Amino acid sequence: MVILIIFGYVVVGGVELLLWKERPWQKVLVYLLLLSAAATFSVLLAIDVRLPVPEPLGTLRNWLQKLWQ
Amino acid sequence: MMNESVPERQGIALVFLFIVGDSFVFGLARWAGRDLWLSFLVAIVLASPLILVYGRLGSLMHGQPFSEALPRLLGKWPSRLVALTYSAYAWRLGCFVTGDITNFVQAVSLPDTPQVVMAFGYAILVLWAVKEGIEVLARFSSVMIIVVLLILLTALGLAMTEVNLQEFLPIMYDGFWPVLQGAFQILDFPLLETVLFIGLANALTTKKRSAYKVLIPGFLLAAFFLMLFASASVAILGEEAYMTSYFPVFMSTARIDIALFLTRLEAVVGVTFAIGTFLKISVCLLVASKTLAHTLGFSDYRFLVTPLVLSIIPGSQWFAKSIMEMEQSATKIVGFTDVVVQVALPLVMWIVAEIRMSKERKNKAGKPSGI
Repeated sequence: MVILIIFGYVVVGGVELLLWKERPWQKVLVYLLLLSAAATFSVLLAIDVRLPVPEPLGTLRNWLQKLWQ
Repeated sequence: MMNESVPERQGIALVFLFIVGDSFVFGLARWAGRDLWLSFLVAIVLASPLILVYGRLGSLMHGQPFSEALPRLLGKWPSRLVALTYSAYAWRLGCFVTGDITNFVQAVSLPDTPQVVMAFGYAILVLWAVKEGIEVLARFSSVMIIVVLLILLTALGLAMTEVNLQEFLPIMYDGFWPVLQGAFQILDFPLLETVLFIGLANALTTKKRSAYKVLIPGFLLAAFFLMLFASASVAILGEEAYMTSYFPVFMSTARIDIALFLTRLEAVVGVTFAIGTFLKISVCLLVASKTLAHTLGFSDYRFLVTPLVLSIIPGSQWFAKSIMEMEQSATKIVGFTDVVVQVALPLVMWIVAEIRMSKERKNKAGKPSGI
């Protein structure tokens, strides 16, 4: 399954980059980084369905809750 | 630089379908029970000032693209931080909405089909729509609003034979607290999700037209429409069934039976839900791509769409892992992240933008004309 997911992302990325009329390196770099992040995310979730969801505002919420109490 | 403009009527249809999109099938304001119509009225009153703030922020952008207007209003780095926050929020909302439709379809019609398959189908459609841009989405909504309204109002009309108005009595038997809880739930989802339209304000605003003219009518129409549908569902199903079922509107439409001939009309509600969610996911991903492009310093957003859209497929399975979690996230009273993004951040942005604009105006007025 993991190999299939990675293969899918590689195919999509390859085809889309080929279809671009211009390929400025900044855009290509950002595109590849984001696509790799998306592929990693998909693989992680395929391995473990119960992957925890991070709470970037959790610290702020806990601090406000303490202040409230 | 892309110059996008959406006519007023199409903009209103877009806002309407964005709010109604995936929300009307859920048990909105279920905390209020039979008093949910009061919750809707309270929520409309509470949400209106915030919608005006969103509209004011849109108007302050003077029709400029997000990447030009936001740095002018907030400064370079704060604007990028705000854009990143909205990008994350829009992507997260897109994942939730995708999870809503995949869970819904699996629950009501395709129990053996993996949700990933449905999410993949949606992702391909959304990818195409977002790359086409806001103008195509607005044109699509101006056509689809007729289909959605026709289907839902016909279903509502046919369901009138099942309505029992005694279900609304007694009024406020449990006091005002459940009404307030219900109002906060509707504010959180779906009314204040309209905040995402700040990211599309350049398309909604022209020199002659402010963003209010699109946001306010769209918001009010959607809110009253949702109130009508939720109240009709309570009157048909009764308070208990409304509060305990996952998709009460779907259930109430299933009760329609005209002379044993016209039955099973819940399927058409499913169709409207599918149309609405498609539009909502597209708007979410459009805003996520545009704001992320601004964060990274690009004027074009289209090259970011594919990775963002592909990541909503696993994202839809990540935030809500079952139909119970999906229903809980949709009908929770207040979410901390939502309060920050829907209320606190727009208010801070508005105050900062007004101060900066008034300083700019004073500086302009103080300068000698040079004649």
